[in-house]
Amino acid sequence: MNVKMTLKPRGLRISIPRPISIAIVFIFSLASSSCNKDIPSTEVLPAVTPANADATAGSWKMIVLTGPTQVPVPSPAPTNDPGYQSELATIKSAQANLTDAQKTAITYWSSGGVLRWNEIMRELAARSDLPPSPNPDGSYPVPNPANPFANPQFPFSNPPYAVRAYSNVAVAQYEALKVAWYYKFLYNRPSPSKVGTSIQSLMPTTGVPSYPSEDAVEAAVNTVLLTLLFPTSVDEINAKAAEQQQAALLSGRASPSDIAAGVALGNAVAAIIATRAASDGMKAAAGTPAIWQALADGATARGEIPWISQDGPPRPPQLPLFGQVKAWMLTPTDILNERPGPPPSTSSTQMKTETAEVLNTVNNLTRDQLATVYKWADGASTPTPSGHWDAIAAPYISAASYSEVRSARVYALLNMALHDAGVACWDTKYFYFNPRPSQLDPNIKTQTSLPNFPSYVSGHSDFSAAGADVLSYLFPSGATYFNAQAQEAAMSRLYGGIHYRSDITVGLVQGQRIGEYTVRFAKTDGAN
Amino acid sequence: MISLVSKNRRKPYKKILSSICFALLVLLCPSLRAQTIDDGIMLADKTLCAGAIYTHDSWNQYWEGSLERVNGNIGTITTQTITMAATYGVTSWFDAIVNVPYVWTNASEGVLHGQAGFQDLTLAAKFKAISVPVGHHGALRAMAVLSGTLPMTNYTPDLQPLSLGANSKTISARTTLNYLGRRGLYINGTAAYTFRGNVTLDRPSYFTNNQLYLSNEVAMPNQFNFATSIGYRKNNLSILGDYSQQQTRGGGDIRLQDLPFVSNRTNFSKAGATLKLPIPKLKNMQYWLIYSNTFQGRNVGQSNTITTGLMYTLPFEKRAKP
Repeated sequence: MNVKMTLKPRGLRISIPRPISIAIVFIFSLASSSCNKDIPSTEVLPAVTPANADATAGSWKMIVLTGPTQVPVPSPAPTNDPGYQSELATIKSAQANLTDAQKTAITYWSSGGVLRWNEIMRELAARSDLPPSPNPDGSYPVPNPANPFANPQFPFSNPPYAVRAYSNVAVAQYEALKVAWYYKFLYNRPSPSKVGTSIQSLMPTTGVPSYPSEDAVEAAVNTVLLTLLFPTSVDEINAKAAEQQQAALLSGRASPSDIAAGVALGNAVAAIIATRAASDGMKAAAGTPAIWQALADGATARGEIPWISQDGPPRPPQLPLFGQVKAWMLTPTDILNERPGPPPSTSSTQMKTETAEVLNTVNNLTRDQLATVYKWADGASTPTPSGHWDAIAAPYISAASYSEVRSARVYALLNMALHDAGVACWDTKYFYFNPRPSQLDPNIKTQTSLPNFPSYVSGHSDFSAAGADVLSYLFPSGATYFNAQAQEAAMSRLYGGIHYRSDITVGLVQGQRIGEYTVRFAKTDGAN
Repeated sequence: MISLVSKNRRKPYKKILSSICFALLVLLCPSLRAQTIDDGIMLADKTLCAGAIYTHDSWNQYWEGSLERVNGNIGTITTQTITMAATYGVTSWFDAIVNVPYVWTNASEGVLHGQAGFQDLTLAAKFKAISVPVGHHGALRAMAVLSGTLPMTNYTPDLQPLSLGANSKTISARTTLNYLGRRGLYINGTAAYTFRGNVTLDRPSYFTNNQLYLSNEVAMPNQFNFATSIGYRKNNLSILGDYSQQQTRGGGDIRLQDLPFVSNRTNFSKAGATLKLPIPKLKNMQYWLIYSNTFQGRNVGQSNTITTGLMYTLPFEKRAKP
């Protein structure tokens, strides 16, 4: 501290204490160590080499289609056909001049297109997960699918919107890949890298015939459906689809004619799913002011305090008729049968006790409980609860080294169950129209954003129990983990101050029961 | 300014007095971070300046990106801070500074839970690099400050705007140029660059900057800020006009109707005034009142900020020496 060098040139006194230089070195070394700012925006996944080609997948049970031949795929030209030979020559010359971007794309897509497209879709869902901003008069504008780029952008990818979207894409992709597998093993055209000895194989060999190309099927299905569901992201969707097809070509996995057949097949299946989606009841799910009022009047008539929006200004309820949207594995009657009994009456002692528990919980959280709240917040600008469960499934799918069609099966089964749980949950929520804890007791302040729909039953509990149920069936070794995650997700809503305990316990039971519908299907779908 | 004194003195006064007792007991001193780290004042050798400072910051309008708006889900956001601070003149050219802030946040509307707790410890070393007498009129000095902040508790950065802070470790390098005239003219200019360490969230992914990041780690853009003050400073009395700006070197905007995010590009310009008064009959005690208004910004609230408190200095007389 007492060390300093003093210079005195003509009245100018300069003190340069040695500690300054020491401190500067210290600061910059600290700064450089704390400023490693590269954050991954995609999952680092290994290239997948399928343990099993799943040659019989063409006969696995369909969900929407009647069978693989519903979508005809013409037979390919023989490999000695001059047209095909010139396709090989194109690949060969392209492989000689690969750019770094092309090599990166090949590595990226070799982890499996099903996993990558789900990852991409989670980003699209998060990007569109913003509620409309209020008008100056306190009303709210409604996103318009005919003018998606205008404010508010279409869609508002809230939890019901997102889960329906994930499930439609996952089912379409699964159906299309089963059709592709049927024709692949019918025509048995090998990949370009096997036909043309001078063509390198730059992706792991799958043991799956090449015509029609599974990469092209996935690219086409996702392009058609994601553009319908998330129209403002159309440029990004098209770029990813083009990249996947090009990677399949450049890696020696698919020829232009393999890809063309895959695109045609993908488009055809996507159109079938899009037609189903257009009439699944979603268009009417927002309801009307008269319907909103009738829901509140129904609760009042039963002697209950009806739910009110606590958004500022009050916002119309979120998709109150989503409970009437078509489910995948449940009929409308099944949905009604799975509707649980009523929550504790808003005037009951039990409800007072449960409300007091919420107040006490939210005001006395441990840091771990708070971490749980944030982990499972899944609010605005997130992939929503169903996307969260897709992310949980991703490492299990990757580690299992599945064929693309079997990976697609996982996401189809999982997202069907999540969608059905969403439908059943929304049916329950709007039938009972039960107020949130913070409505019954204004002293309750929440640790996460308050969802704008009735309380009973908890959506997180419902989604998570259904997801954990299906994943536990598909990956039994992970069952303990999946169920622990579901319990944690459910309890996070009590910690956050947005749900009573009975919302959670009943929601978990309902979700698990809904999940079983999909598990029963999976047990007999021919894939086991 | 005068009316503000009388309005705001009474309430925080008791809190501050009790805080000061505590501060002196544990040899922690309150001083406002900004006023000790970025002013042009060096303490005399072996002098301690300590105190407790109360800050009341509130806004109901904010900039969502560049859109000015109010939000019925939060109403007015109020952040109150008590900073316990100490500056010690180790030598005539080296001051060591410690700040310990305790923060409360609250939203006047909506249902979101306010937060409370200890925020970030600040440690700083302030060096007088150059001192040049300007004839008989005064002195021009240059200072360098190296400072760092360290979150004292594991508070969440993920409930903006109610989080206590960003929960980021930071390191700042600052230079200050100051002129103090014998008749009391005070001109100060200071600029700092702050490196901010990555922040860890409790969730596995987050969306910002039009991208979904599949990580719990958030890269925090660095910040540049500068401030100028001009006014009168003599005999333990300061009356200054202040202006400051912060620029964040990256980060995304708050999207329409979205919550703010910890790594948002937070820019602002503030203007205000500082009044520091010696207290009659209380030797070595100085009363502080600082006001600032955020009149321009991006991804921040249009804050009105009032800072008030008492600082105790030992030995007091040497401190004012130019």
